[in-house]
Amino acid sequence: MPLLECKGLVRRFGALVAVDDVDLTVEPGEIRAVIGPNGAGKSTVFNLITSVLKPSAGQVLFAGENITGMPVYEVAQKGIARTFQLCHVFPALSARENVRIAAQARDRRRWRFLGGGSVLERSAAVADEAIERMRLARFADVTAAMLSHGDQRLLEIAMAIAQKPRLLMLDEPTQGLSIEETGRAVQILKDMLAAGDLSVLLVEHDMEVVFKLADNITVLHRGRVIADGSPAAVRGNAEVRSAYLGGSE
Amino acid sequence: MNWKIHFAITAAACTVLPFVVPGHSLTILVEALIFGLFAMSLDLLVGYCRLYSFGHAAAYGLGAYSYALILTHVPLPLPAGILLAVAVTTLIAVPIAWICTRSTGVSFAMLTLAFAQLGYAMLFRFRDVTGGSDGLVGIPRLAGPFGIDWFQSKFGYYYLVLGCLLGSYLLCRAIVHSPFGAVLAGIRENEAKTIALGYNTRAYKIATVVLAYGFGGLAGALYAAFAGFASPELFFWLTSGRVLIMVVVGGAGTLIGPILGGVSFVFLEHHLSQLTDLWPLIFGTVFIIFVMFAPQGIWGILTSRLLTKRDVANSDSGKEASGAAT
Amino acid sequence: MNWFGFILAQCLNALSQASILFFIACGLTLIFGIMRIVNFAHGVIFMLGAYVGYTANVVTGSFLVSLIVAPIVVGLVGMAFEWTLLRHLYGRRDGGAYLLLIFGLAVVLSEVIRLIWGVQPLGTGIPDFLRGIVIILDQPFPLYRLFLIGLGVAAAIAIWQFLERTRAGLLIRAVSQNSEMVHALGTDVDMVRTGVFGFGCALAALGGVLATPLVTAFLGMGTSVVIDAFVIVIIGGMGSFLGSIIGSVLVAFVQVMGAYYFQDLALAFMYLLMLFVLIIRPGGLLGKED
Repeated sequence: MPLLECKGLVRRFGALVAVDDVDLTVEPGEIRAVIGPNGAGKSTVFNLITSVLKPSAGQVLFAGENITGMPVYEVAQKGIARTFQLCHVFPALSARENVRIAAQARDRRRWRFLGGGSVLERSAAVADEAIERMRLARFADVTAAMLSHGDQRLLEIAMAIAQKPRLLMLDEPTQGLSIEETGRAVQILKDMLAAGDLSVLLVEHDMEVVFKLADNITVLHRGRVIADGSPAAVRGNAEVRSAYLGGSE
Repeated sequence: MNWKIHFAITAAACTVLPFVVPGHSLTILVEALIFGLFAMSLDLLVGYCRLYSFGHAAAYGLGAYSYALILTHVPLPLPAGILLAVAVTTLIAVPIAWICTRSTGVSFAMLTLAFAQLGYAMLFRFRDVTGGSDGLVGIPRLAGPFGIDWFQSKFGYYYLVLGCLLGSYLLCRAIVHSPFGAVLAGIRENEAKTIALGYNTRAYKIATVVLAYGFGGLAGALYAAFAGFASPELFFWLTSGRVLIMVVVGGAGTLIGPILGGVSFVFLEHHLSQLTDLWPLIFGTVFIIFVMFAPQGIWGILTSRLLTKRDVANSDSGKEASGAAT
Repeated sequence: MNWFGFILAQCLNALSQASILFFIACGLTLIFGIMRIVNFAHGVIFMLGAYVGYTANVVTGSFLVSLIVAPIVVGLVGMAFEWTLLRHLYGRRDGGAYLLLIFGLAVVLSEVIRLIWGVQPLGTGIPDFLRGIVIILDQPFPLYRLFLIGLGVAAAIAIWQFLERTRAGLLIRAVSQNSEMVHALGTDVDMVRTGVFGFGCALAALGGVLATPLVTAFLGMGTSVVIDAFVIVIIGGMGSFLGSIIGSVLVAFVQVMGAYYFQDLALAFMYLLMLFVLIIRPGGLLGKED
C-alpha cells in the first residue's frame, strides 16, 4: 500500500486552475521528486497535501487514511513533516530550542504545563541527535535569526527530522545553499533513507540533486502531471524537455 | 541555580517590610502587590503569546465581584471565598477565551475590550444585584477554617497577598519553562510553523487566556476582600489600559518586569496624584516612549545589560533573555 | 396613529445616525486600506473633534466655522502623529507595537482633553438656523437631523467622486492595493499615507462636531463610538469605502430599533452586536495585522 496517495487533486483560485487533476503516490521507503517550471503548481500540491489549502476536488490518503482537509496540525500528527519554500524557523529562539520544540510535537505529554521535566528531556535528546545529524552542533546555542541563510535551511530540515516523520516533505530545501551545504544535505538524506522507515517527497529545482536522490520523478507543468517515472525515463521525455527548455535551472 | 537565590532574597526582604514600613504605607503596599499580581497575569498573554488584550480588567472585575457577591450571600471563610471567586472567574473565562481566540491581532483586542465593556454594562443592567454605580460595599473578611484569623488584620493580610503573589510567580514561572510554555514561545515567534509542527495552537491560546484570567481573578478577589468593596470602574477600559501600560513599561515577557511595573505604578500614582493632576498624561507619555524606543521594558533593558551571551546559552532554554521580549 | 409616518420618522432617525457613524467609519476604513492598521484611537479623535468644534463655536459664534476649523485642526494633529511616531513602526518585526502606540495615543489624548476642557460636558446646542421642526407625513421631525442626512449624503458622494475621478483618489486606491508598485513608479507613498491618516482623522472630527448638538461633548464619548465604527468596517469589509456606507446604515438601523425595543440593554447592545459579528466573521481580519 502506498504511504501517500493523491487522487485527482484539483485546486482553483477563481478562474485559475493551479492544480489540475494531479495523481501522485509515494511508496514506503521511496524518494520522489516533484519538478516543473515556475508556476507549475508544485508548492500548491504541497499545501494541498498538508491541508494548508483545501482542495477544490480530489483526495489525499495517507497510509490508507483519508486526510483530505484535516486540520493542519492533525496532518502533522499523522507523521508528515514539511519544510517551507520561505524558510520558517523561530527567529528569537536558539537553534537547539527550535529543534526541541519540533521534537516535542510528537510527545503525548507535550501540553504539560507543570511537571513536564521528562518531556523536556526526551525532546532535548531527540533534538540533539537531529542537530548532530545535520552537523549543526556548533550552532546549537546560537539564536536562529543570527544563522546564515544556508544554516537556517539546514536547521529547518533538522526540525523536520526531529518530528520523526514517516513522510518528509521538503519544499526546495537546497535553495540558497552553497555547493558544500547542498552536498551535505544530500548525503544526510541518503544516510537517513538507508537507515529505513522514511519516505521523502521533494520539490526541487536543482536537477543534479534530483537525479542524485530521486527514485522516481513526477513532472508538473501548468498544474498537470506531464510525466511520471524513473529519472532516466523522465530525462528522455520529449514533453518534459520542451516544458523546461532543457537542462537544469 | 541563580534565580532561586534571587527569589529567596526578594521573598525574605518582602517578609521583613511590614516591620520597617509605617502603617499607612502598608495599605498602599498591599494594593501594590495586588496590582503586581494583576500585571503578571496579563504578561502571560502579552509577553508570552503576544496576544494584546484591551480588556483584562474583566478578569480583575470578575474576581472582585465574584468574591463580593459570594460573601454577601454566603458567609464563607476568606480563603474559601477567594478560591471560589477564582474558580468562578476561571469558569467564565472559558467561553470568553473560546470566542476571543477565534481572531488575532486587533480583533482579539477588540473582543477582549467588548467583553470587559459588556461586564461593565451588565453591572448597571442588574443593579439590584450588583449595586450599579455604587457597587457593593461592606464586604466581609471572615475568619478561616479552624479559627485562623491572622489575615483579618492589615498586617496579616499583607502576608496573605505576598504569599499569593510569590506562589503565583513560581507557578507562572514553572508554566513558562514547561513544554506548554515552549509551545507559547513557538506561537509567539511563528504561529504558522507551530501549527505545521503538529500543535493545536488555538487550544494553547485558550488555555493561556483562561490561566491569565485565573490569576487576574485572584488579584481581583484579593482586592475586594482587602478594600471591602467592589465598584464598576474595576471593569472600565481605563483599568485595562493601566495594567497594559504596566506590563509594557515593566517589561513584557519577563514576569518580573510586570510585577515591578505594577508595584511601582501604584506607588507612583499615589504620590504623583497628590502633586499634580497631570499624572495620567505623564504615564501615557512614558508609555509611548517605551513603545517607540524601549519595547523590551525596564526589566528587559536591565536583564539584557546584565546577561552576557554565555549566560544566555546556559540559562535553561535561553528563553528569558533572547526569546521573551515584545 | 400614522403608522407609516412613524416608520418613516424612525428610518430618518436611523439615517441621521448613520450619517455621523459614516464619517467615523469612512475614516477608519480609509486608514486601514492604506496602512493596514486599525486606528483604535479613532474614538478619541472623534472626541477631540467635538471639543475643538465646541471651542471654535464659542469663539467665533458660528457653527459653520467650527465645522470647517475642527476637522482641519484635528486632521493636522493626526498627520503630525503619523509623521513623527507611527510611521517609524512599520518595519518592526513585532506587529503589536503600532497597536500599543495607538492605544497610547488614545490614553494621552483623552487626558489632554480632560486637562484642557475639564470634566463637565460641553455644548452649545443646535445652532439657531438649524433649529426647528419639519412635518413629514404628519410626523414632526427635527430639522437638524435632516441636515445631518443631507450632509452625509453629500459627503459620501463627494468622497466617492474624489476616490474615483481625481488623480489623488486614484493614487490612494493604488497605494491601498499595491504600495510597492506605486513607490517604484516614483510617488512618495509616505506622504500619501500621512495625508490619508490626516484625512481620516478629519472626517472623524467632523463627525464629532456634528454629534455635539445632539449629545454634547463629554469625556468617554469615543469609547462606544469606536466599537460601533469597528463593527461597521467589519460588516462592510475592511478598506471598503462602499462597505462603510452600507455598514453605517445597517448598524444605525440596528441601534435605533434596539434602543426602541430593548431599552434596558441599550448599553450592552452594541457590544453584543460586535461579538456576534466577530464570531461570524473573525476571518475578516485574520492574518492582516500580525
